[in-house]
Amino acid sequence: MNRQKLTPYLFLIPGSIILGAFIFYPMMRAIWLSLTEYNMIQDAEFIGLDNYETLFQDDLFWQTLMNTFIYLIGVVPALVIVPIFLAVLVNQKVKGIGFFRSAFFVPVVTSLVVAGIAWDWVYKEHGLLNYALELAGIISEPIGWLTSTSTALFAVMVVTIWKGLGYYMVIYLAGLQSIHSDLYEAARIDGANWWQQITRITIPMLMPFILLVSIMSSISAMKVFEEIYVMTGGGPLHSSETLVFFIYNEAFANLNMGYASAAGVILFLLTLILSIINIKFMGKKGNLT
Amino acid sequence: MKRKNLLFVAFLVMIMMVVAACNDSSDTTEAEGDGNGNGEGGGDEEITLEFWTMQLQPTFTDYIEGMISDFEEENPNITINWLDVPAADLEQKILADVSADNAPDVVNLNPSFGGSLAELDATVNMDEAVSEEERSRYLDGAWEANQLDGETFGVPWYLDTAVTLNNSAIYEEAGLDPEDPPETYEEAKEYAEIIQEETDQYGYFPSLDLSLPLQHMELMGVPLMNEDGTAAFNTDDGVEVLEYFTELYENDLIPAESLTGDQREGTNFYQSGEVAFGVNFFIAEIQENAPEIYENTVPSAAITGDSGKKNMTVQNLVVPEQTEHQEAAVDFALFITSAENQVEFAKLTPILPSSTEALEDPYFTDVPDDAEPIDLVRKTSAEQLPDAELLVPPMDNFNDLQTVMHDAFSRAMMGEATPEESLAQAEEEWNEIVAE
Repeated sequence: MNRQKLTPYLFLIPGSIILGAFIFYPMMRAIWLSLTEYNMIQDAEFIGLDNYETLFQDDLFWQTLMNTFIYLIGVVPALVIVPIFLAVLVNQKVKGIGFFRSAFFVPVVTSLVVAGIAWDWVYKEHGLLNYALELAGIISEPIGWLTSTSTALFAVMVVTIWKGLGYYMVIYLAGLQSIHSDLYEAARIDGANWWQQITRITIPMLMPFILLVSIMSSISAMKVFEEIYVMTGGGPLHSSETLVFFIYNEAFANLNMGYASAAGVILFLLTLILSIINIKFMGKKGNLT
Repeated sequence: MKRKNLLFVAFLVMIMMVVAACNDSSDTTEAEGDGNGNGEGGGDEEITLEFWTMQLQPTFTDYIEGMISDFEEENPNITINWLDVPAADLEQKILADVSADNAPDVVNLNPSFGGSLAELDATVNMDEAVSEEERSRYLDGAWEANQLDGETFGVPWYLDTAVTLNNSAIYEEAGLDPEDPPETYEEAKEYAEIIQEETDQYGYFPSLDLSLPLQHMELMGVPLMNEDGTAAFNTDDGVEVLEYFTELYENDLIPAESLTGDQREGTNFYQSGEVAFGVNFFIAEIQENAPEIYENTVPSAAITGDSGKKNMTVQNLVVPEQTEHQEAAVDFALFITSAENQVEFAKLTPILPSSTEALEDPYFTDVPDDAEPIDLVRKTSAEQLPDAELLVPPMDNFNDLQTVMHDAFSRAMMGEATPEESLAQAEEEWNEIVAE
């Protein structure tokens, strides 16, 4: 290779070293650890695929995997669709729109621990939500939103959605502002109404952004942890425990690093598959591939 | 051509990573070998000891630093590096540092976590490192709290026995006498019923977080395990314990949060005036956040069951096996837990010393006539110390086992299974874990 050909690689070296040391090396190491029994203190002992075998027989693993999928199905559509409308809304040229834009964005920059505690108060048996619902006559007995196995996971999902809306809204907003206004003008001259403008111009033009948001929101839904850690601790009866929480518990509470790594590898594979599906499926429309 | 280059680079990166991963798998063995530090405490060799505490800054900074400088004065060749770690991070931090062969020399842990380090042979055996004479300075129950499989992995530092806190305002509203608080689980239920009826409020907040279900079992006279570690709790008495809590839960006599909430949650309920009584609340926090409720607080002996036992919580000092200065580290641990230093500590905050001599100090036996609730907590707590023990001793696989019991309580209380079924399932899971 001559000098000129080498130059780009030289520029790539610093980034590669950082990525290698902090992303790829830990990844490889986790794959190796998933084949061992390791408690962080004694030597890792190679045990082949035993961890995976145990994992597939572990009811709790399947339950947390199921919870993760429920989370994904509940959270991703909301985070892909609702922010589009929010973005359209705050894209108006109205006085004081900056205020609304920031208001929608505030949850994103709020610390999850603080938000979790605040939502805890909303969900309490004698909390705001029950009070409002009782006042409106919708329920007669308070519901233990976070203390019942049937509602805890959904209650936490709402927080994830609430927190993510503003972030994805900003991404869409950037997309909206890159759409030329002549397109809308031409459509209006042709007699298109508001809805037709949205479905025929806005959404197709936003397709690359929709693809990005669906990938990002599904990855973050697969990895959900903090909300659960702060609000329910996975309870009651593991009903709100997701895969990452399970991994955390196995690794840092039960000190089964090898076992936790095996679950981590499964999570990695699932996320990978999901992203490939996303790109293949949406890519055709989004012209990203 | 372009594509070929790219492939080549990708290949190089792959090789790099694989080599790195392989390398690392072998270097974990390094940790072995050292650790049996010998005889350097009294010498002239310059020694630096790393000392970690659990969340004592900034309240006790002066106290700890005072002890450190006293110790350094007595031992001019030793320097102490003190690091205070937030309680929530301590377990992970010590694990990470032990696995990196970079453990501190003296670290403040609780028995369950000290136990899991001991389970991995990562701690110095105090039965060997501490002389019989020194050992006899400590309360037996406190010393034995740091034992796993017959080996002592730590020196007891400060102790606490939980007391019941009663909100006298709610008692009076319900027509109950706050000077006659519930002493047993049965009475707690009766009181909760009366309070609910009279004031439409919760009476009792029994915390069921983490290891507390195991504790309730022991307190109610149900032994947890046989000598071999297998489950012993699946008996009629054990089922009764689950029935008791299920009844409380189903009849809405306790907040639903008591199943999932931790001690902090219980404290929040109490200090916001939403429950009348409970064990395991943080009195200092109540004093600071809710002065009115604090003024109305009457401490009493902890609610107990057929066993008549009280639970003792223990903080210890552990010397990790990796230390290069074992003797100096043990000396320092003994120094911190000396009678004199412990009395001084206990005067700063409502805790009890593990040293028998320190416990004889009038500070723990006599309280002034105009005593505040916090003084009464100390006195009540010290009074029940002779009956107190660490009810849930360190055990192998502690985390898994406590989850098994917590799940058993949850299933029964939430009506997912009958108490009998739930306990039978717990027995099966428990024995599976023990057999592993």
